[in-house]
Formats: sequence, C-alpha cells, structure tokens
Amino acid sequence: MNYLWHIVNMAGIYAILAMSLNLAAGYTGLLSLCHAAFYGLGAYTATLVMVDVGFDFLPALACALIVTALLSLMIALPSLRLRGDYFVLATLGFQIIVFSVLYNWVGLTRGPYGISGIPVPKFFGLEVDSVAKYALFTAVVGGLGLGVLWLLAHSPFGRLLRAVRDDELAAAALGKNVTHVKTIAFVLSACFAAIPGALFAGYMRYIDPTSFTLTESIFIISMVVIGGAGNFAGPAIGAVLLVLLPEALRFLHVPDSVAANLRQVVYGILLILLMRFRPQGLIGEYDFE
Amino acid sequence: MPDVTIECRDLSKAFDGVHAVEDVSVEFEAGKITALIGPNGAGKTTLFHLMGGSLAPDSGEVLLRGRRISGLPSWETARLGVGRLFQDVRVFGRLTVLENVLVGFRNQAGESFWKAVVARLAVARQDRDLAAIAQHWIDFVGLRGFEETPARALSYGQQKLLALARLLAQGADVLLLDEPTAGVNPAMVKPLLALLRDLAKDGKTIILIEHNMSVVIDIADWVYFMDEGQIVAFGLPHEVLGDKWVREAYLGL
Amino acid sequence: MSELFVQLLLNGLINGCLYALVAAGYALIYNTTRVFHVAHGVAYTAGAYLSFYFLVRLGWPLWASVVGAILLSGVLGASMEWFLYAPLARRRSSLLVAFLSSLGFYTAAINIVALVFGNETQVLRAGVSGTITFGGVIVTKIQMAQALVAGLVVAALLLGLGRSRWGRIIRAVRDNPELASVMGINLFAIRTAVFAAGSSLAALAAVLSALDVGMDPHIGMPALLTAAVALIIGGIGTFGGPVLGGLLLGLVQALVVWQISARWTEAVTFAVLILFLVFRPYGLLSRRQRLEEQAA
Repeated sequence: MNYLWHIVNMAGIYAILAMSLNLAAGYTGLLSLCHAAFYGLGAYTATLVMVDVGFDFLPALACALIVTALLSLMIALPSLRLRGDYFVLATLGFQIIVFSVLYNWVGLTRGPYGISGIPVPKFFGLEVDSVAKYALFTAVVGGLGLGVLWLLAHSPFGRLLRAVRDDELAAAALGKNVTHVKTIAFVLSACFAAIPGALFAGYMRYIDPTSFTLTESIFIISMVVIGGAGNFAGPAIGAVLLVLLPEALRFLHVPDSVAANLRQVVYGILLILLMRFRPQGLIGEYDFE
Repeated sequence: MPDVTIECRDLSKAFDGVHAVEDVSVEFEAGKITALIGPNGAGKTTLFHLMGGSLAPDSGEVLLRGRRISGLPSWETARLGVGRLFQDVRVFGRLTVLENVLVGFRNQAGESFWKAVVARLAVARQDRDLAAIAQHWIDFVGLRGFEETPARALSYGQQKLLALARLLAQGADVLLLDEPTAGVNPAMVKPLLALLRDLAKDGKTIILIEHNMSVVIDIADWVYFMDEGQIVAFGLPHEVLGDKWVREAYLGL
Repeated sequence: MSELFVQLLLNGLINGCLYALVAAGYALIYNTTRVFHVAHGVAYTAGAYLSFYFLVRLGWPLWASVVGAILLSGVLGASMEWFLYAPLARRRSSLLVAFLSSLGFYTAAINIVALVFGNETQVLRAGVSGTITFGGVIVTKIQMAQALVAGLVVAALLLGLGRSRWGRIIRAVRDNPELASVMGINLFAIRTAVFAAGSSLAALAAVLSALDVGMDPHIGMPALLTAAVALIIGGIGTFGGPVLGGLLLGLVQALVVWQISARWTEAVTFAVLILFLVFRPYGLLSRRQRLEEQAA
C-alpha cells in the first residue's frame, strides 16, 4: 500500500515538473535543457535552508523560489536573445555548470555524499511523516502550484505566450515586448520547477546531485513530449506514464540491472517515433514546428 | 495644412553591398491612403521593415510625428501607433481566430503574469469586454462563425482578413499594409477597400504596397513609385500610372 | 612548478588535438545541415565500442579493428541521415524537431550499448606502452599517436576542404541550400557524405582516446558537448574555427587543472561557452556579418 502512495508521490512531483517545463517549452516555444538544474536548485536551496538554517518547509520553499528565480534570470538575460539552437546550447551549458557546482562545491552542498537528515516537513504544526500523508501534502502544495499554472495558462498571459511561440515577429508588430515575455515565462517555469524540488527533498529526506543531471532534464523533456506539449493535460499524462513505466517493466519481470538502461531505450525510441509521426505527443497542442 | 504623421528622410539600407533602399525621402499624411508601387525587389517591403522597426537603417531616419523612431525595436514602434500587415500574413497558427484578434488589443491587464493570477476577476471581465469588440471586427472582415477555428486551418485569404481584424484591434493609427488584397476572395475586396476608406476618414494614415493597379486607382490618394531602392516617381494615381516611363518600366505597356 | 605547468599544457594540447578532431567532424555536419546533431555522440561511442568488439571480442589486429570501427561508424552516421533526419527534412520539419529526434536517438543508442557491453569501463589494450621523455616532460606513446594521427587527419581535412571541389560544394550547400540544389548539387548525397565523414572522424577520435583511458557507454555526451563548444568559440560556418576551438579548449582545461582543480574543467568549459554566446556568438574566426544575416 505504501508502495502505491510512493508512486502517487512521484507522479505528483513529476507532473508539476513536467507542467513547469511545459510553460516555457510548450506554451512559449523555449526548449530548455536545464530544467533538472532548476529542480535541483529548488531541492538544494530548500534543503540547505531547512538543515543548515533551521527553517520550516514553507519558508524554505519560499527561499527556494527566490534563489531559483534569481539564477534563472541570470541565465535568461544573456540567452533569450539568442537564436533557437544557441538558446538550447546555452541552457545545456547552464545545466552542466549547475550540476558541476552541486557535485564539486563540497563545502556547500556536501558534493557526491549528498545531504541526509532533511527534517520531516511540518505543515502548520502537523508533521507529514508517512508516505500517505506526504501524498496528501504533495497534492495540496502541488495542487496550489498547478492551480496557479492553470490560471496563467488560461489567461491573456497564457495567450500571449502562445502567440509569441507561434510568431515572434507578428507579436512584436502588435507591440508586445517579446524578450520581456520570454524572460518572464522562463523564470516562472524555473520557479515552478523549484516547488517539486522542495517537495522531493522533504519526501526523500536525502538528496544528492545524481538526481539532477542532464539525463534527468532529458527525462522531463520526454514527459512533456510524450504526453503532449502546449496544453495543460498533456505533460501530466506524460508524467504519469513515465512514472508508471518502470513499474510496468518490473511487472514484466525485467531484472533491475537491465531495467534502468531499458527504460532509457524506451524513452529514446518514443522520442524518435513521436518526432517522426506525432510530434504533438498524445494529446498536445504544440508540435515543435 | 498637410498632417504628416510618418516620414522617411534620406533613408538608406544596404545588404552585402546591394542598396535595397537608397536615399528615400517620403511623407505620409493622416486621413490619406498612399500606395507604394514598383517592380519586385524594388525595396518596398524593406522600406516597410525600416518604418516598422524590423530593420535599422544604415543612414537617414524615420520620424513619427516628428519623433525619431528609426532604430527602435519593432515592438516599441508598434506601441507608438504603427501597425503592420505582412505579405506572408503571419497569423498565430495554433490560436483560434478569436484568440488571434484578442492578442491584438493593447494595454491588457491580463497579459501581466501577476495580474493574471491576483486580479483574475478584473482580468476576466476585461477579456469579456474585449471579446465583444473582437467579435465586431471578426464579423466585419467576414469571418463570422470561424471564431473557434485554429488560424492555420484558414485559407490564405481568410488569414489575411484575420490579420486585418487583429490590426484593427491593435488600434494603430499608421497602417503599413503589404499587399492587403493579394489572395483575398474577390467578393471581399470591395468591402475591404470600403473599410480602408473608412479608416482613412477616421484619420488613420494608410500606406499600401500594391501590385493590383485597379485597387491603386480606386482608393489611393497619392502614389510613390519605387524602383531599385529609390523613389523615381510620385503624384496622383492617374499621373503616376499614366507616366510613360512608369508604364514602360513597370506595367510593360 | 614550471615543469608541471609545461607537462599539463602539453597534455592539454594533446587532448585539444582529439577535441579538434571531433569538432571538425561535428562542424562538417553542422555547417552543412544546421542540425544540432546530438547523436554525434553516438558515432563517437560506436567508434570506441566497435574497435573494442573487433580487437577484444573478435581478436582482430589493431589496424583492422580501428579501420573497421571507423568505416562502420561512417555507415552508422550515414544511416542517421537516412532514417533520422532526411524524413524530417522532407517534411520540412523545424530544427527543434530534428534536435529532439537526435536526442532520442542518442539516449536509446548509448543505452543499447550499455545493455550489450555493460555500464562499466572497458579497456582497449593496443599492446603499445612506454613513454618518451624530453626536457623533463613525459609523453606516452599513445599520446604521441593521438597527437600525430589527429593532427595529420585534421590538417588533411582542412587542406582538402580549402582547395578542392568538395570544399566548394560543401560551402555552397552551407551558404544557400536552395540555390545549391537548383544548381544541380545533390543535397541528399552531400548530406549523407558529410554525416559519414563527420562520424568517421568522431569514431577515430574515440578510438584514440579509448586506447589511452578506456571507454564506457557515456563518453559520447562530453565529446559532443566539447565539439559544440569548440564550434561556437572557433566560429560556426568555418572549419578552421572548430579546430582552433578544440585546441583552445584543451589548453583552457589544462589551465584549470593547473590553477584550480580537474573537477572544475567541465564547469569552466561551459562558462567559456556562455561568455562567447553573450559577447561573441559568431566565434573567433567567423565574420560577424554572417550571424546578423542569419538572424534577419
């Protein structure tokens, strides 16, 4: 039963992650390879604030949002005026740099040893100390985050993002400051990735850099692409599917040693097939054209 | 007293040594429809890019009511009142017709991410009001019934009408229209021209790039003829189109 | 102290030769097709593992293993164009779609390699050992081979592209594919050829590297990233640029090892990338105008 709650937790965390990437990649057309970096920055900031400074979860989450917003702004400002593939390359560089810092700045982040002993999150006095309770916690916190994202997506702001995605030149000709719009979308996307980062830290009670690699960024992209980019339900479906896939492999008695590699093969093949035959994914609006 | 809203002074732009626009000086007045004609490659669209802010000139300037706008990014020029209809239309393909027009409106509180979340009731109300105005423009250009259609499902001519509706929502008072009638259903051309005349009467400055001479004769108050980057003739439509040199070089008559 | 510096610098330069080789291959492909060819890392990985398979599992002599690996990697590269990119190009898909496709192929391919050969490091023994010392600096024979082979191949490539008909054709396809096609150049054939050649170069670099430090299924991404960075800092649209970029990166990394620590070489490499993207995105050897024309 606990195992089922674990799946729910991970699905919830990844659904928020996927939807946050979708805000930049699916709604605004900004494919970023550094989303795991923002996820990691959220996790590490919240963790360090809880463990080293002693804050509770919600204030720690607030700190995570601020730090991630600032750092994402730092990469956004120079990169967003670059053309498509240069932008992707810049985000790739940022991902590598962030991972390198998390891994090598041992004094701050404990490096490859990770940080353990993350306190159980306290939600207005109540301790979220079981997997089932955490699922509820994720649902509440995550639900709030998703609620805000929903409002954004279905507002004139969301409409503006999609317009910029579909034709920057036309949007500019209508008086929209396209760079400004893209910057906001990118920073918001990063902030919404910090939330599942903090949730992940509070859930696992231990984090290390290996959860926030380039491979993880590619995994998040896969969720968005497979479920479908550019609308609200697509990435959520993608997240649920890709969280369930390892379980399906386990069910088929695929040995664990093989499973990890096999999963990646499946993601890769799905990406290729989808780009070839159905780039809008299962139920997406945006086909990356 | 001519009310010059937008003008170019000695405007020049070259690409790789080729002069796309060379020492062009032109004036456009409010309440008038001016046509810019000439052979392909004459530099007309480049001139529009320079006026609209997509390109910065090598030398010379563009003035909007006396204020220098050349070199400003296109979004700023647009906010100052310059609207554009592109030759390749440029609708927002995945957005519906209604959404396309809605994007055109200026000063939408809901376009700020903060207000969209915090002031959502006020934003929703403004959006409803704007949707009513958008519907008016959609009806006017003849796209009634297509409100929920994704723009990329429309025909080229319909997309052009959509772009026009969007432009009307923008409320710009200087309109740079690059071949507005090309590809449009002949039945729609007459109402379109009537609309342009109405807009001019309203005081808007309308500048057309046109290849259709009957349209030019029908609605243009003034014509500039451009060839190889320079203005080589200007005047009333029948003067320019009657000019022997123009007829030989351009109309092949 | 200064001996250590010279040693590190020399190591860096030799690494730089290998980077230049991979970058040259990547540049061939990118300059001609403009695709962000992440799957270049697959050609790299394949080169190393094919040579491993031939040498260790099949027992072929070294020269045959290397040649076989390079040729097969070339075929692999060509098939990437046929099955991955050409169908997308026919559909006039965006570069973003091609990139995602490339990413998917990379992910799937290297994990298949891991399933077949295991995730651990494998060693490629050439039976070549020993070092040469001159002036207090030590160079292994394998390092000498790396520098010599990479250097010669890159030099040959640069000369070949500079003068010959091939060079002109590639430049034509790069500058204006529509015009080149109209002028009778078979775009598909050229694309296939550059993919094959570029992949072979990557494979050669991988083998040279593997003979020194072995291989694991994940060597492809760092190699690809280094090539991409070398391309940017050297100058897109040129071939000398990425070569210069590769050498410079080798030197920069040596400096980082000398002054900071080996752990930070990756971060510094990408910090250099971002600096270039911000201040000089057209690179060292490229003409500024080209980038602005592309942007317009």
